[in-house]
Parts: sequence; structure tokens; C-alpha cells
Amino acid sequence: MFLAEANPLNASELIFPTLECIHIAGFAILVGTIAIVDFRLLGVGMRQQTSAELARDLGPWTLFGLVLMLFSGPLMFSSDPDMYYLNRSFQIKMALLLVAIIFNYTIHRRVALKGASPPKSKLVACVSMLLWVGVIFGGIFIAFI
Amino acid sequence: MSLLSFCQWLQSTDFFTAIRGSWYVYPIVMSTHLAGIALFGGMIVVTDLRLLGITMRKRPVADVIRQLRPLKWIGLAIIATCGILMFGSKAEEYYFNTFFRTKLVILTLLGVHALVFRNRVYRRAAEFDTTGRIPGQAKLAASLSLLLWTGMVIAGRGIGYIEPPIGIHAAIPGPYRSMAPPVRYSGAPAPAADGGGSATS
Repeated sequence: MFLAEANPLNASELIFPTLECIHIAGFAILVGTIAIVDFRLLGVGMRQQTSAELARDLGPWTLFGLVLMLFSGPLMFSSDPDMYYLNRSFQIKMALLLVAIIFNYTIHRRVALKGASPPKSKLVACVSMLLWVGVIFGGIFIAFI
Repeated sequence: MSLLSFCQWLQSTDFFTAIRGSWYVYPIVMSTHLAGIALFGGMIVVTDLRLLGITMRKRPVADVIRQLRPLKWIGLAIIATCGILMFGSKAEEYYFNTFFRTKLVILTLLGVHALVFRNRVYRRAAEFDTTGRIPGQAKLAASLSLLLWTGMVIAGRGIGYIEPPIGIHAAIPGPYRSMAPPVRYSGAPAPAADGGGSATS
């Protein structure tokens, strides 16, 4: 059994909020760089560049954001694993997150780099943004249900 | 009318009382606030990093700034609207909140930043592409922007950690829930079993 009191993260009241701030800055970079590509697929924003150029330019930053998330997220989880594990919103968030990451590095990546018909590109962009917005809603609702 | 009594009046209006009274409207507004930061905040980071010469170096600075500008304004509108809705529903609590006051100060500084650097840097980006050199002033603007927006994130998250002064909600109609989350660190008393109303799980 895990005891939240035994986790050194819980020894200081500043650690958890610091992790939260890293988490927020991290998803601004992770989701923000993906969104620039998504908006391009929708035909708005950086139209002077191709979606492939944007995806290649921003790919390392997307990965950087993902690393920040996968660093701060599990640490926050460890502060109170029982609460998170049983939290319905957390469960939905994790399911959406898994789908969003797989989608980003498979279908989304292929469409951004190789191109697709406009309807398909737009559908992929919408699915991508909805998945990430869903992850964020899931994260916020953890604290409210 | 003092600022405090304006805040008390604002949160007592039917509109903001309804927001406060619903268990799901406030978290939806907060989620939309954060989703706006996710979809549009990255554009600020990318613009600043481009001015610093760290990312998208093959793309003209002017391209990055000009093309992202309209989207950033849309994002700001969404984020600010949600922010005002959250503030209005608990205006008195926000009034006393030190992190909220800090956030407003940083927001003002961002306004000053825009006034100072708009014509000096952001509208002159095409020159940087012609000369192939980004002046120190532009790098200063980008660094300050990153610093101030990071401050906005920290102050924003901090808002939820300050307990409101005792007794300020006595006059508020409808249910009231503090923004402060259950305390986690071991130096504090253990959180109540129903902390935050998790009875549904």
C-alpha cells in the first residue's frame, strides 16, 4: 500500500505547485506546437509554410514538451496514487492521453509530413485538437469530481 | 463605490451567482482557460524562441510573427473571457488573493511590453530578415516576454493555493466552494475524506 505521507515529494508544500507549473508550461509547448501544425492543416495560421516544414521545425519542441509532461505528471501522480487511480476523470484522461500520443506519432505525423486530401487533413487536425483539449479537461476535472 | 464593494456586487449578480452555484460550470470555464493556453500559448513561446534564434531558423522572422498574430489574438480573447468569468464568480475571494493581484500586475507589465516593443521590434521583423541579424533589443523583448508569461502561469496556479479570509462568504447566496485544493504536504493535518466533494466516485 502506498502512503502519501511517506513520499518525499510531500515533505514540502512548494514541490507539488512547482510540478503543476512545469506541467502547464510543458503542455503549452507540447500542445501548442502540435496546434500550430493542426491550424496549418485547417488552412489558418502559418500558411506560407507547408505542414511538413512546420512539423519538422517543431517536432523537437513537441518532444521536449512531452518529456516535461512525462516528468512532472508521474511525480504528481506519486504524491497521492490511490486518489488518482480511483479518480474517474484521471482514468479518462489517461485513456485520452494514450490515444492522443499514439495518434500524434502515427496518423497525425504521416498526414503532416506527406500531405493528404484537404477533407482528410482537416479531419485529422480536428481529431488531434479535440484529443488534446479532452486531455486538458480530464486533468482539470480531477480536482472537481 | 470601493473596489471591494464592486467585487461583492459583481459576484452577487444573477449571472455570476449561477456560475458559482453549478458544480460543473466553473471547472468547464477553467478547462477552457487552460485549453486556450495549450492551443495558443505555444505560439507565444515559438515567436519568442524564433526571435532568440533558437527555433524555426529557416523561416523568416516576419513570417512567424505576422502569421501567428491573428491566432494569438483569438487565443487571448478566449483565455481572457474565461479568466473574467472565473474572477466574476468569486470576485471577493480573488480581490483578497495575493497571487491574483500579482497576476494583474504582470498582465499590466505585458501591456507595457507591447507598447514598448510593438513598433521597435515586432513591426520591424522584416528588417531582421533582410539584414540576417536579430538585434539585441528584439532578443530582450523575447526574453522578457518568456519571463512575464512564465510569471503568469506561476501566479495563475498560485491563486488556487491561497485560502480566502475567514468569513467573507457569509453574505453570498448559493453553495460556495473555495478555490484552494486539499492540502497534501505532510506538515499539515490529513485532508478530510470528502475533501473536494468526491462522494460521486
